[in-house]
Amino acid sequence: MESVLEFFKNLWNLLVQLSPSMLTTIEIFLLTLVLSLPLGLLVAVCRMSKWKPLSWLTRIYISIMRGTPLMLQLFVVCYGPYYMFEIPLTGEWPFIAAIIAFAINYAAYFAEIYRGGIESTPLGQYEAAQVLGYSKGQTFFRIVLPQVVKKILPATTNEVITLVKDTSLVYALAIVEMFTRAKMIAAAQTSMLPYLAAGIFYYAFNYLVAFLMERAEKKLGYYQIK
Amino acid sequence: MKLVEIKDLKKSFNGVPVLRNISLTVEEGQTVSVIGPSGGGKSTLLRCATMLEKVDGGSIAYDGKYMVKTDEDGNAVYAPKAELKGICSTFGLVFQNFNLFPHFSVLQNLTDAPIHVLKMPKEEAEAQALELLDKMGLKNRADAYPGELSGGQQQRVSIARALALRPKVLFFDEPTSALDPELTGEILKVIKQLAAEKMTMVIITHEMAFARDVSDHVIFMDGGIIVEEGDPKDVIENPQNARTKEFLSRVQSTI
Amino acid sequence: MKKILCFACAVLMMVLCFAGCGEKASVSASKALADPDAAKGAEITFTVGFDAEFPPYGYLDTETNEYTGFDLVLAEEVCKRNGWTLVKKPINWDLKDSELEAGTIDCIWNGFTMNGREEEYTFSSPYVDNSQVVVVRKADKINALKDLAGKSVEVQKESSAEAALTSTEDNEKNLALAKTFKELKSVADYNTALMDLESGICDAVAMDIGVAQYKVAANDKLMMLSETVATEQYAVGFKKGNTALCDKVEETLKAMVADGTFAKIAEEWELSDCVCLK
Repeated sequence: MESVLEFFKNLWNLLVQLSPSMLTTIEIFLLTLVLSLPLGLLVAVCRMSKWKPLSWLTRIYISIMRGTPLMLQLFVVCYGPYYMFEIPLTGEWPFIAAIIAFAINYAAYFAEIYRGGIESTPLGQYEAAQVLGYSKGQTFFRIVLPQVVKKILPATTNEVITLVKDTSLVYALAIVEMFTRAKMIAAAQTSMLPYLAAGIFYYAFNYLVAFLMERAEKKLGYYQIK
Repeated sequence: MKLVEIKDLKKSFNGVPVLRNISLTVEEGQTVSVIGPSGGGKSTLLRCATMLEKVDGGSIAYDGKYMVKTDEDGNAVYAPKAELKGICSTFGLVFQNFNLFPHFSVLQNLTDAPIHVLKMPKEEAEAQALELLDKMGLKNRADAYPGELSGGQQQRVSIARALALRPKVLFFDEPTSALDPELTGEILKVIKQLAAEKMTMVIITHEMAFARDVSDHVIFMDGGIIVEEGDPKDVIENPQNARTKEFLSRVQSTI
Repeated sequence: MKKILCFACAVLMMVLCFAGCGEKASVSASKALADPDAAKGAEITFTVGFDAEFPPYGYLDTETNEYTGFDLVLAEEVCKRNGWTLVKKPINWDLKDSELEAGTIDCIWNGFTMNGREEEYTFSSPYVDNSQVVVVRKADKINALKDLAGKSVEVQKESSAEAALTSTEDNEKNLALAKTFKELKSVADYNTALMDLESGICDAVAMDIGVAQYKVAANDKLMMLSETVATEQYAVGFKKGNTALCDKVEETLKAMVADGTFAKIAEEWELSDCVCLK
């Protein structure tokens, strides 16, 4: 009984110890989402552009983002400016680079999700909007996008959960987020407990994400799309 | 007064002519029915008239203003964008598949375009919408979503949606074809009521009895041309052209 | 009971050892060099004292149950070249001085740090350099450790450099130095650290001198501070004043360097990066 209590006390202490670095993880997560969700929409629109060069360029961009490891992209964004363009970097750069790399990587994934949603919108919706006199912009933002959001929510939830777990990759740029911190503590204490604490954090975080997304899905459940 | 004036309309898809020199006029307050076999060009005519398709040649004018006309070189030239917007507000279209906006409630379906396209005040748009719904017998479904309605109810909402923009002429593209037979009656009733109110309408329909009883003028289209037109009773009960006869006998035998 | 048994064993072994010595005339290398006549016809032994718990320099190989290590293999080769017989003698590290004094060992050869002990022993030239140095950008005008104040410094995770700058045991000077840094960051490997340095993400990297020399030689934008974070050079330690044997061993080692044997052994023990005998 006592040892069980001790175990939970240790675990709690670890979670407290890890909490500052959890903020870093959450910061990376939120910044990535805030940037990549709108950027993904822009990419999707470019990808579907009738102007071929733009469409092809975006297609190549998406293919590279999806076809190479995120870890590699982190390195390229972080060190590329110096090694390719000789731009001197600073100590703050790795964090910014990590956010940029995450944002452009996730934007590519989100763009494909958006595209699927946009392209599955029935032609009749566009025609109805046109005959009713909506402009192209109004049609997209008032008619198409709200329906797309509902359709893509489940796929987006998957990506967002992956993002939570992917945040640990920034250790490659020596940014101390939660998992790196847990590894350090684990090495110092030669204990597996920090990993358990890290796992609990990720699980709780993702549980919250899934919960919120489910709420959103329910909120949009008031209507059906054929 | 000529509200719709279509002259020598030409349209081909991939080199296959679908409309060959179609000309027709619709007077204000008139109800015109367009009948004919599938693939005869009826829908294309309506889609050209509502700018869902671009014409290859000929002219279309609403209320005396040209939406599109053909220049000396034979190219179809559309009116400038600013002018086009006004011209297009002259007409409305009711689709075969309703095409209601599923994420909007019935009321929003009727108010969104007036508010955002015509910049009508919200209160006015809503008052008008409720009035239209009342007319369609759907006042109590204002807060429902299209997915919750029957096909007939949806089509009535879509007619109300078109009317909310106060068009001078309303086009119907087979408004009852997507409905179960027992639901067509409620739509025909609404159209009949509109006809009685002297709403100008062009209706593509397969309901011969309806075309005969409600319209002022009937057009029989086949092979991209107007084969026969005239008074509904004459055309439907006593067709002159062999193709019209053949079509009508086929349609009536299936009823 | 256990203690008595151990003691008994030790006594027995000592007896056997003396008995063995008695059988053949043998003389230690130290004596042989001091008095060549006395050594005539006798077997010359070269007794190396070492701490058997210091891999890879000297340790008990549990598979063969024999003492081995980089230093012992070097010693073996030195003996072979001089016609001596190597005696590997694991010692109690605390008693190393008395062993040398008593002549029971000829030298301490066991990753033996010479720095700070120069007055107590006669040392060969250092053959391994484990110093921790600081690499900076040439353009930055950082010339001494004090110039690192307010700078961002990186080390490889779990490296000697990290230990040198963070260890809390008897390390006040370096801890104070680390405190002047803007930050001390541990990165996954020294290549990342050097990329960070070159690109400006950090201002200095603390690392092993062997790797640092190699990297600085290959990159003309970088340089090494002459001041070190930790100085740690290994040399063979002899009883103070025993220059004759020291010179002999050093001479042999240098011959081994000259013909490549030394480098080959270093490579076998994966110590190529830190050997420094030239």
